[in-house]
Amino acid sequence: MERWEECEHGEGLTGLMSLALDGLLEDRDRQRLEQHLMTCAACRQEWEAMQQISTLFEASPLVGPSLGFATRVERRLGEQTRKRRRLFGGVALLTSSLSLAGVTVITLMVFGLGIAAWRWLDSAAAAEQETQAVSQVVSGMGLLGRGASLFLGDLLLQYGAPLVLVLGISLAVLVTMWVWLYRKHPNGKRDNGYV
Amino acid sequence: MDQERAWIEQALKGDQTAFGQLVQAYERPVYNLAYRMLGDPAEAEDAAQETFLRAYSKLATYQPERKFVNWLLSIASHYCIDRLRRKGRAPQLSLDGPLPPQWTISKAPRPDQEVSQKEQREQVRQALETLPADYRAAVVLRYWYGMSYDEIAVTMHTTESAIKARLHRARRMMAHQLPAA
Repeated sequence: MERWEECEHGEGLTGLMSLALDGLLEDRDRQRLEQHLMTCAACRQEWEAMQQISTLFEASPLVGPSLGFATRVERRLGEQTRKRRRLFGGVALLTSSLSLAGVTVITLMVFGLGIAAWRWLDSAAAAEQETQAVSQVVSGMGLLGRGASLFLGDLLLQYGAPLVLVLGISLAVLVTMWVWLYRKHPNGKRDNGYV
Repeated sequence: MDQERAWIEQALKGDQTAFGQLVQAYERPVYNLAYRMLGDPAEAEDAAQETFLRAYSKLATYQPERKFVNWLLSIASHYCIDRLRRKGRAPQLSLDGPLPPQWTISKAPRPDQEVSQKEQREQVRQALETLPADYRAAVVLRYWYGMSYDEIAVTMHTTESAIKARLHRARRMMAHQLPAA
């Protein structure tokens, strides 16, 4: 306001005033401030105003909440926990469904590849009737692997990078969701505050 | 202190009753900070409750070498500063800028001039309202909790010199709002 005259010492001395109010002023600075206050009306006015405010604040007691505050907090905490449990349940259901769908697709693929390999082996069996059962099984497994790699190779050739990207992202999302579920399990070990 | 640690450990295991004991023990300092910062009992109640909810969800990050009450006050002050900034209610002042209208203050209470508690509370509220949110928090922590500059700096996640500057500027701002005697 206009009534405040500016002192040429500016903020330096008001800085000392603030420290003086906190009892942190050294003797030399205290003397400097006192001497200045005797000669400067503007700073004296500011100092008195600061003291007035300090006195007002120091005389103000701590204010407490109304009765039953802790109960109200506990109620909100309960609501929050229930909300989190519902969210947890939803995410768990979604993750399980996606994982089940993924496992089903993989099982069907392996099953299909197995049938294809078996048919191929059947046609080749006429020429190799005397081959031992063990070698058949081993070669069957080899063929199964080869069939799978051919199938995946075909897929990659046909759809290329986008497919790899989609599969990678889906896998990462599922893994993240499972990790989240593991960490936030309501009955599990508490991590980062979740109960 | 041992009792406090036991409550914290039980709360970490999910015991909400133990956390309730912590709430009862510290509701007053937390509420007071929220009230001084926000200046409204209903908002202070909400902010204090929110502080305890946040404290509960972050309890695993509490470091026992720190005073628990200071940790709570840190959460409360940050929450109140955010709340004031979101609402745009705290002035963004500098000493060079224009000053808001003056507020009135009674002279320091003398035995023959008793100021009523209500009036005094109103004066404090008006004085604090002239300050930007982070200045306000520094002033409240200094006057009502007797924190040192270092403790305020840790509570507000800043430096000691920043707190020194904030307190100095805050006091100057409030002093400049006083009408001439």
